[in-house]
Amino acid sequence: MKKIPVWIDTDTGVDDAVGILTALKLEPIEVVGVSAVAGNTYQNNAFRNARDVISLGGREDIRVYPGAERPLVKKLKVAPHVHGDNGLGEAEIPRSKAPIETTKAWDALYEKAKELKGELVVCPVGPLTNIAIAITLHPDIVDYIKVLNIMGGAAIGGNVTPCAEFNIFTDPHAAQTVLKSGIPVNMCGLDVTLKAFLDDDDIAEIISYGNKASDLFRDSNHMIYEARERVHESGLAEHDSCPIIFTAYPELFEGQKCGIYVETQGTITQGKTVTDLWSDYKFPDRHCTFILDVNQPEFAKLIKTAYKSY
Amino acid sequence: MDKIRKRPVILDGDPGHDDAIAWVLAAAADELDIKAITTVAGNQTLEKVTYNARRIAALLHLDIEVAKGRNRPLCSELIIAPNFHGETGLDGPVLPEPDHKLSDLSAPEMMAKVLRESEEKVTIISTGAQTNVAAMLLAYPELKEKIEMISTMGGGLRNGNWTAGAEFNILVDPEAAYNVYHSGVKLQMCGLDVTEKALVYPEDWERIRSLNNPIAKVVAEWFDFFFIHVSSLGWSGATTHDPCAVLSILHPEIFDIRDYYVDIELNGEYTRGATIADYTGRHSNEPNCACVVDLDREKFVDYLYEACSRYEGWEV
Repeated sequence: MKKIPVWIDTDTGVDDAVGILTALKLEPIEVVGVSAVAGNTYQNNAFRNARDVISLGGREDIRVYPGAERPLVKKLKVAPHVHGDNGLGEAEIPRSKAPIETTKAWDALYEKAKELKGELVVCPVGPLTNIAIAITLHPDIVDYIKVLNIMGGAAIGGNVTPCAEFNIFTDPHAAQTVLKSGIPVNMCGLDVTLKAFLDDDDIAEIISYGNKASDLFRDSNHMIYEARERVHESGLAEHDSCPIIFTAYPELFEGQKCGIYVETQGTITQGKTVTDLWSDYKFPDRHCTFILDVNQPEFAKLIKTAYKSY
Repeated sequence: MDKIRKRPVILDGDPGHDDAIAWVLAAAADELDIKAITTVAGNQTLEKVTYNARRIAALLHLDIEVAKGRNRPLCSELIIAPNFHGETGLDGPVLPEPDHKLSDLSAPEMMAKVLRESEEKVTIISTGAQTNVAAMLLAYPELKEKIEMISTMGGGLRNGNWTAGAEFNILVDPEAAYNVYHSGVKLQMCGLDVTEKALVYPEDWERIRSLNNPIAKVVAEWFDFFFIHVSSLGWSGATTHDPCAVLSILHPEIFDIRDYYVDIELNGEYTRGATIADYTGRHSNEPNCACVVDLDREKFVDYLYEACSRYEGWEV
């Protein structure tokens, strides 16, 4: 069967690394390109980490492109308390020996999308800056991207503020540009990603594999693990693996069609993904699906199976 | 002889079918002593809702003068909802004409007078925009200590209705709501989270109609009218918003009430008037609001039925 061509746009990122290493092993999909963006960490870290993680996954043939160093309008605010200063929770992995790409994310993504004639699925798992720039620079890219499976936002609640999620809050203007572009979107927000967790047994099992991927998992996750203990969350949410696993196995997820826009003007609501899922008022344009639930045991199993195979 | 200790209340609203039903519930409750009715622009213009309030007071034999508020919100242009409530703001059954004159006091002045004169703390039941309540709190902050609580219908933690982000009452006057939520006064919020679950089905109000007393018949006819627009939005029952603000203080045990810090968005392209809760408590101060988020629908309907049954033999 023909594999689904997938582009991953990432601010790599501890959970981004899990998403990438899982993506490389999922049968139904083929990673055809990766681009880096500032978010969890600075762009140069994200770029290096994406390259190194892909290399660790044994796929130096997959090209990794550098992207935006800052959000469209807001000042960049990275998250070293979660992802460490290097973006991988201070874990060290070997440097990739792949040639360093100088083509920018938005150009490389556009070329690939055009080449694949509308078949490309893009999984942005960081702020949407690169995608917004690509749409602005190459307006016809909207005809070539099949769908955007995004990690970002929340229909209910938030994490960096009571009502905004990190990726969208980091660059709300880019997110709004993307959601207004007309490209179909499947939004994996906190509603589903907090249900997409690895529990203590899953974590112990992954670490027990003792391979290079599971070593990275162990060495990169400790800050998140400690933060999680502080707030008494029951599992390790694998946010960024959600849109990737969704791309390969959508049947494991549940969502609802709706309109989604990003609040860029609010005082306390900046970066909120505003949906009309439950309001009497409906947006005129409803080309999005908010993903709200996941089959967690199957989700965890796919990550474990991927890690075991390293 | 033992006398039932009555809880003094002020009814502040913009009737409006669901305000009217809320007031029928309040007037039927032995536990409540209605000290004043004040009106606020919202569901319809101030003149129309004030006329409606005076007609409802006559219908319910309330021996009080209605006091009207300002004809518009603090800063916003007025939004009205004739699609739900009709041209009069209370279309449907014929009501008696007002039998008391309109008060010379403005709504906030009337509230202040009641608070000042009351020996006991007073509960304000606010079922419209919070313009009057905010004006009173701003003008007479020293009277805050005379307020037992403000029980409001407004907002929605999960969703809006008039816009994707905001519920009608808060959207009409977000700056007023902001003042109320930051006032430090004990606040209970019946938002869409609960009021969109407070569904009264046609068979429920047929049961009420069959009580065959004048008030029950009027209530059933209000439901008939209100449901015309509500059903066109896809609802299988009437979203009985404002009565939640009364029943949640009379019978809190049938409601699920959670304490959160809630703030009001004043700006925003999509979120002006949104009520934003800090569910995890990680981002803000102590909770400022008791948020009513769920209810036992069957019991809610039973209390509504029971209240209507108390008007047996009522003369209109």
